[in-house]
Amino acid sequence: MEDSYHITGYAEHFGTWVSLILLTFMTVFISVFGADLNTLTVATALFIASVKALVVAYYFMHLKYDPKIYRIMILIVMSMFVIFLIMLIFDYLTR
Amino acid sequence: MEHSFSLPNSGHNYDAKASKLGMWLFLYTELLLFGGLFMVYMVYRALNPDAFLIASFNLNVWLGTINTVVLLTSSMTVAMSITAIQKGNSKLSLILLALTVAAAVIFLVIKYFEWGAKIEHGFWPGMDHFTNLPFGEQLYFYLYFFMTGLHGLHVVVGMVFILIVMKKIKNGSQNKNKNQLLENSGLYWHLVDLIWIYLFPLFYLIH
Repeated sequence: MEDSYHITGYAEHFGTWVSLILLTFMTVFISVFGADLNTLTVATALFIASVKALVVAYYFMHLKYDPKIYRIMILIVMSMFVIFLIMLIFDYLTR
Repeated sequence: MEHSFSLPNSGHNYDAKASKLGMWLFLYTELLLFGGLFMVYMVYRALNPDAFLIASFNLNVWLGTINTVVLLTSSMTVAMSITAIQKGNSKLSLILLALTVAAAVIFLVIKYFEWGAKIEHGFWPGMDHFTNLPFGEQLYFYLYFFMTGLHGLHVVVGMVFILIVMKKIKNGSQNKNKNQLLENSGLYWHLVDLIWIYLFPLFYLIH
């Protein structure tokens, strides 16, 4: 290979795994034992899921060390999704 | 042939960057595919919040949690196998990929028992018990079987993908200097994990 690329170490992958497992237990714990505030738990669960998704994408999927173009493209895809979502919400709210 | 010229798309040239970009483009379409399903889920859950809650009590949170841990672990092993091959350690890379495939099998076996229990209790669309459920709960089970089923299909595809790569590492065509196929299968496997990260709270953790 002509250009050097970043090799993620084993320890970093293991650290990522530990944080993901901790987040998983946190979300299960909140859901099973702290289930008083209905909408708040949904929001918390989705927030934790998004943090986990970001950790997977950044460290396991290597986005952190990849050229910027990948992050820009994923931003475009996510904005498309958000636009669809907003249009859908407006559709259902105005029926 | 005395010269090393090769035509584009002839299969003789190797372009890791283009290959990776192509894989990401494919993953974006996957994100939008599941994104659409999540939107369907969101609307029906907003319209039937109580039915979704009651129906979700039929799922086993602990089996779901175990499956989450299994998938996260397999994501780590596949990421480590890429590290291993980039450092030139093909043997370790193969062991880590074998562990990933084992995790995929464990995931599918647990899923099999989960689905089996649901079907035994008549929750499969069209069964007697299912037909007598309130409409909101029926929607929940339609979405549950469809979304986890489509996700399970992705697990199977990812597993096959990894098995093919393992064969290529064994015969040396994926190695220290040429490993984009392994990276791409890793990316696909992480996507499978990513989708499960959302499926798990949305189906198992409603409270």
